Amino acid sequence: MVKFKLNGRDVSVDVPDDTPLLWALRDDLDLTGTKFGCGVGQCGACTVLVGGRATRSCITPLSSLEGADVTTIEGLDPNGKHAVQEAWKDIQVPQCGYCQSGQIMQAVSLLKDYPDPTDEEIDGVMGGSLCRCMTYVRIRKAIKKAAAALRKEEASNG
Amino acid sequence: MGKLERIAAQQDRAAGRGPSRRSFLLTAAGSAFLFGFARQGKAAQVYPQDAPATLKEATAFEPTIWCSIAPDGWVNVNIIRAEMGQHIGTALARIIADEMEADWNKVRITYVDTDPKWGLMVTGGSWSVWMTWDQFRQAGAAARTVMVEQGAKLLGVSPAACIARNGRVLAGSRSISYGDIVSRAHPTRTYTPDEMARLPLKPASERRLIGKDVKALDIPSKTNGTAIYGIDAKLDGMVYARPKLPPTRYGSKVVSVDDSEAKKVKGYIRHIVLEDPSDTVPGWVAVLASSYPAAIRATDALKVVWTPGKTANVTEHDILDYGRRQIANKTGGSRVFNDPGVDEAFAKATRVVEQTYTCSSVLHYQLEPVNALARQHDGKWEVHCGNQWQTLFLPVIAKALQVPETEVVMRSYLLGGGFGRRLNGDYAVPAALISKALGGKPVKLIFTRSDDALFDSIRSPSVQTVRAALGQDGAITAWQHHASAGWPTRVMASAFMEKGDDGKPYDQFAIAGADHWYDVGPMLVRALDNELAGETFRPGWLRSVSSGWTPWAHESFLDEIAHARKLDPVEYRLSLLDSKGRNAGSAPNSVGGASRQANVLKHLVEKCGYGKVSLPADTAIGIATTFGQERAMPTWTAGAVQVHVDRKTGVVTCQKIWLVLDAGTIIDPDGAAAQTEGGALWGLSMALFEGTEIVDGNVRDRNLNTYTPLRIADVPEMDVEFLPSTEKPMGLGEPGVTTIAPAVGNAIFNAVGVRLRHLPIRPADVLKALKEKGNA
Amino acid sequence: MIKRLLAGAAAIGAVGGLGFLYYAWYPPIEPVDLPDRGSFSAEQVARGRIVAAEGYCAECHTRTDMGGGPELAGDYKMDTPFGAIYSSNITPDPETGIGNWSEEAFQRAMHLGVSRKGVHLIPAFPFDHFTKMTEQDVSDLYAYLMTRPAVHMTHRTNELPFPLSLRILQAGWKLLYFTPGVYKPDPRHDALWNRGAYLSEGNAHCGACHTPRDFMGAEKKSAPYDGAVVDNWIAPPLNEHNPTPTTWTENELFQYLRYGVAPLHGPAGGPMSPVPHRFLSTVPEEDVHAIAHYFADVDHAAEREKHDKAALARAMEQSRTDLIGPSVDPDAKLYQGACAACHYNAAPSPVLGRPDLALNNALWLDEPTNLYQVILHGLTAEEGQSGVAMPSFYNALSDHDMARIAAYLRRTRTTLPPWTDLEKKAAAVRKTITTIPVNSSH
Repeated sequence: MVKFKLNGRDVSVDVPDDTPLLWALRDDLDLTGTKFGCGVGQCGACTVLVGGRATRSCITPLSSLEGADVTTIEGLDPNGKHAVQEAWKDIQVPQCGYCQSGQIMQAVSLLKDYPDPTDEEIDGVMGGSLCRCMTYVRIRKAIKKAAAALRKEEASNG
Repeated sequence: MGKLERIAAQQDRAAGRGPSRRSFLLTAAGSAFLFGFARQGKAAQVYPQDAPATLKEATAFEPTIWCSIAPDGWVNVNIIRAEMGQHIGTALARIIADEMEADWNKVRITYVDTDPKWGLMVTGGSWSVWMTWDQFRQAGAAARTVMVEQGAKLLGVSPAACIARNGRVLAGSRSISYGDIVSRAHPTRTYTPDEMARLPLKPASERRLIGKDVKALDIPSKTNGTAIYGIDAKLDGMVYARPKLPPTRYGSKVVSVDDSEAKKVKGYIRHIVLEDPSDTVPGWVAVLASSYPAAIRATDALKVVWTPGKTANVTEHDILDYGRRQIANKTGGSRVFNDPGVDEAFAKATRVVEQTYTCSSVLHYQLEPVNALARQHDGKWEVHCGNQWQTLFLPVIAKALQVPETEVVMRSYLLGGGFGRRLNGDYAVPAALISKALGGKPVKLIFTRSDDALFDSIRSPSVQTVRAALGQDGAITAWQHHASAGWPTRVMASAFMEKGDDGKPYDQFAIAGADHWYDVGPMLVRALDNELAGETFRPGWLRSVSSGWTPWAHESFLDEIAHARKLDPVEYRLSLLDSKGRNAGSAPNSVGGASRQANVLKHLVEKCGYGKVSLPADTAIGIATTFGQERAMPTWTAGAVQVHVDRKTGVVTCQKIWLVLDAGTIIDPDGAAAQTEGGALWGLSMALFEGTEIVDGNVRDRNLNTYTPLRIADVPEMDVEFLPSTEKPMGLGEPGVTTIAPAVGNAIFNAVGVRLRHLPIRPADVLKALKEKGNA
Repeated sequence: MIKRLLAGAAAIGAVGGLGFLYYAWYPPIEPVDLPDRGSFSAEQVARGRIVAAEGYCAECHTRTDMGGGPELAGDYKMDTPFGAIYSSNITPDPETGIGNWSEEAFQRAMHLGVSRKGVHLIPAFPFDHFTKMTEQDVSDLYAYLMTRPAVHMTHRTNELPFPLSLRILQAGWKLLYFTPGVYKPDPRHDALWNRGAYLSEGNAHCGACHTPRDFMGAEKKSAPYDGAVVDNWIAPPLNEHNPTPTTWTENELFQYLRYGVAPLHGPAGGPMSPVPHRFLSTVPEEDVHAIAHYFADVDHAAEREKHDKAALARAMEQSRTDLIGPSVDPDAKLYQGACAACHYNAAPSPVLGRPDLALNNALWLDEPTNLYQVILHGLTAEEGQSGVAMPSFYNALSDHDMARIAAYLRRTRTTLPPWTDLEKKAAAVRKTITTIPVNSSH
């Protein structure tokens, strides 16, 4: 039985150790915001944070998460108002929305590494997150908006 | 009656439903209709999420089946369209709310389950706004009329002294809210359909919501993980299933099944060889397990021996060759346009020019793999899934289950991408069959991505030949367009096919686009059903259907003719868009006809500086123009694409896309822009990045390791503009796609002088063409 | 971690004669009663814990297959070309462990590779390194081990076939390859260097994995730290032959050994991962500094470091080339989808937690082995950078896909000639994995 922290709470899941985190989240922990897309770690729909870093949950076995700190879209912010989520709503990024949990989690991770990302950095990091509705133009815009908001937040906290 | 209405009527007749069901009776609330759907989990599809979960039905005023007003003032709008990214509920609710003068902050939308009373439930063809426009304005007007009448009574003034605004009836300084009117007056006024149609509608100048920016009601849920898609549906006690797919789409027969290895997988329950009276999933075996990962592994471990169907060795090449032979054969197919004088003109022509254009198979690769949850509950078979054409597939499910349609209900969920894939509800059938085999127990069938790709209803590969007869002066005197592709509508909905000039049915979704608005003399437009394609796979409707590939032929071809005649391709097109004869257009859908297409083209050229700006070497702009989706519902579209061609590698880089559209009235400007941006990038993806082919009877590419759709780094700069209009709104889900591929092809020609005639355009093809040109 | 059985180690039939037998013969040392725990001072036990950690005893003396075993109770399975062998129980159980060993017997085992009963130990037990340890350190280690919980457990029977099973043959090997003797400080170097050398050459037995072995399984004295294959991974060269474009500086080495991740070179994976995480993170920081200091000298960091700035700049440029702007190269697309979200970096320098493959050993070694191993296994949150996991692409990428990624990275991220037979090698590495890490779909 693997024990880890999920959205700030200790959890243990009694499923085989080779179960992908994705299915444990969706079917055993009832967090369906994380999506199944390609199953091979190449579309980004299943992206969650592990240790603060964007991770493809569809091919990450539970066995590799002992003691880890996992955050899903549901736990990103208690009110769903993380700067990235706010920017996503403002710019009206989602169309079908299916990839957007993953896009948001990937963007959060991007902004940690590159607080003021260039288009190149956005492309480099977000290139693994597929959006079939092709909301890419707005994803770029929203990331920049969120970046500005986060920097402002940072400045006022600092 | 428009095409869609005809389809609806046909379906109603087929299902034994009378027309009265679909008329707009004004009835008092208290009818049996319930708003909330009992659904486990968090699946109630009501937005915004913080709206009251259920309206007080018993006391709500339900002027039509489409909307109701509760005593607390909340207005509910019922949406029978699938939400798959178009924010369609928001757009449609804006129409009704605008006409009824509702307070937008108290409007909620409900995505309803199937019920015969809704009539045709289909979401595709970019039809939703266009189909609903009149209906919802009339429903809104009815509600407003009743509110004003009753409000006036309560205020003690005459209705003529009142106006409705923002959810209130006002008389001078006094006013009363819609909610109070409902709770105090209990309105029950009814109208006949004729009376309803006679209700005065607001003039465009009085619109307060339509055309204004709005935040789509479904978006917040799509940023915090609370949006519920079909794949998220859960029921107590459900088991998981994965299909074991046969080697061919049709005709495979199970010889034997060996589950000795599958039994070693913890969680494996059993396998079922499906018997399908609807013949939707012949030769299927389903694998059941207590968890989805167990189902994945057990399915891999299960050994099934099949006798494959006859298409086991078919290749893409075979299918395209079949199409070429069909085109070469003067007989066969159906004639969509068959103007008198074509043969004579070709016989008399000074010169006949002809080119053939081909397109590869394309996967939908909608990000949510197809899935469905089925069970029998309270005497009904429930199928929970996202779907775009419930009216089409509910009867198929009933047939598979061998029960009357009245015993089947489809529960609605958000769609993790539609793009036409879920117009075909074939994936729901096996879920129902498995549940039946388990005595009605809930079962959740999920396809892995590779399963989804193998079972996809792909965009059929296509072959098109376009011919023009040229007179002495080089002008076109007659035109032929022959198109061969697998026909989705014949396979899945043959009753709804259009009839050609020669009385033969044809799939309008496998030829639309070729029936263009240019004046090129008498036209022959011939649609050919590529039977080999239809036998090998189930052809699908894919975003913009044939209008995603017919312009590839004729918009490339027109450019070729213009260049050959040393004419400017834009001027040349404008000269052909003369709005004469059948191209003059008609009310209400195509007022202005081809002149509006000319208009968007002119605007586009001004915008992008085509022919004026000087660009670096091997860089150029290409232009194409279409009427969007279909002739009966034209969204006038002009697109320009700037590309750079690398002569060394053959790589084509799209640097910028410009689009100018006239879609009539725009309901939700931001949503319209989003749909068009997405459509254009789909167009670009199919032009340069994605495509597969049939190998040994199946698609070669099944996942992202080899299937390479456009990603964020491939996105060019974009400029999308809608021309202002108060005409009837057309569709926008698909037109964005239509011009891009030919514009890319034309731009490549302008950049480096080579003409590509196959989609997608791969670097190797460009290199080959460059080499040939160098050698020539 | 590490355990290379010396493949040819026992094959010494040619050596014979009475003189050899005399050389080979050691008397048994009488069993003793289990020393009273109280006979060891707390300080000594504490020092012994550090010695045990710096020698990674628990790594090879704890069973990991069959659901794992009690710490230090042995039965760790080591695969050899001749059959599996199993490590011994070193808990103080008198019957199955070393509970009846006197300190003298323990010192002899560590320094000479002979058991209490006088049997030659197989050199999978790296006594050729432990011989360099001071008597004090061994004494402290003894104190530590004798105060561990006793576990009654025998290991499985070694599968070495006759005559390799004849332990007397090990003596011949020793005659040829083994030089006993405690480490002698090198007066040309300072104390920190000597401490590092003492630990690395002795207790930490780095060469056991990182020095290639000859056909008899002995470390090649002529090629110290030239790198070698261990447990289907490549233990990279630790000397100037290390191929990464930037130098393993003292700081890189320290970060890597202490925390499991080096800012430029990335995380420790595979058999190396426990070295930092399980052991060197628990010992005095000065000791880790000393080892880092020593290897910075072994790999000539001081001379090579001056090229690092240019090398880093070039790597960053290589890294971004195919990820910027539209791409139609199918291999680049595959890399973009599967890898780039985590491995993309922008100049001037990689972000911690985004291991840059252009700087990583895996792409610069002669074979793609380590790249494949990491792709197939991923990294758990306990490996590499703590708390961060890399997924397992075992089911996500076919051998063909892995070969495409390997070829693409080698082509775009290094200046070296292409690898060969990539698909075949991917299949070979896949075959070494007996438990599929993740039950995912395709």
